[in-house]
Amino acid sequence: MTTQLILDTLAIFFLLGGLFFMLVGAVGVLRLPDAFNRLHAASKCSTLGMMGLLLAACLHVGTGDVVAKSIAFILFVFVSTPVGSHMLAKAAHRDKAPQWDGTLSDELAEDNAKEKVS
Amino acid sequence: MLDLLPTILIAAAEGHAAEPAGKAHSLMAGPLLLITQVGVGVLVLGILLCLYRMIKGPHLADRVLAGDTVAMLVAGLVVMLAIKYDSALFYDAALVVAILGFVSTVAFAQYIGAKNKSAPEMTPEPEEDTA
Repeated sequence: MTTQLILDTLAIFFLLGGLFFMLVGAVGVLRLPDAFNRLHAASKCSTLGMMGLLLAACLHVGTGDVVAKSIAFILFVFVSTPVGSHMLAKAAHRDKAPQWDGTLSDELAEDNAKEKVS
Repeated sequence: MLDLLPTILIAAAEGHAAEPAGKAHSLMAGPLLLITQVGVGVLVLGILLCLYRMIKGPHLADRVLAGDTVAMLVAGLVVMLAIKYDSALFYDAALVVAILGFVSTVAFAQYIGAKNKSAPEMTPEPEEDTA
């Protein structure tokens, strides 16, 4: 009984954290100025938010299959989301997606120009 | 799926929500279920924000990343369902949604990258020894 109480309290903590990150990611996708900034918000926040929700499910349900599937899901999300967003960012850069006016440096374009000269 | 229907209906019936047999019922289970209900609203709000970006987004990459985020939010909704009903039945659906989001992101990234042929990685290899 007490163990379940502690586990549920931890689950509430992780659930609130996951929901916070999910909402912040969605607001970032809506509000940030260009595609690369939006990609930053979307990938980081959805990864962390998904981890929070899955840990909450682990702690609240607590059976073996849920824990195993949650661990597999967390590993999958932590591998797939950076890979996908990296591919998308590179493709958007290659397609010359418009950048924010306040962008300080674009090192990939500089490297490409240097490679073309040499 | 049809043989699961009675289970789902019993679980969804009023007063039977999330009461698995033989599991200790703690004091914080009520607030947890309340937070899952609020969280469904939060995730749906996030989906609406991403859909707005998907409609508006100036570049194709904006639409694709909004779709990726929507897929992750829908997977989150399915996980909330699993928390509410104390069951592992929904995890496979969440995993399928996440995998489809990842695969579609990769496919669209290939499409966007292949549209511009002038980039150094995309130049075709010079034809050799075609004698």
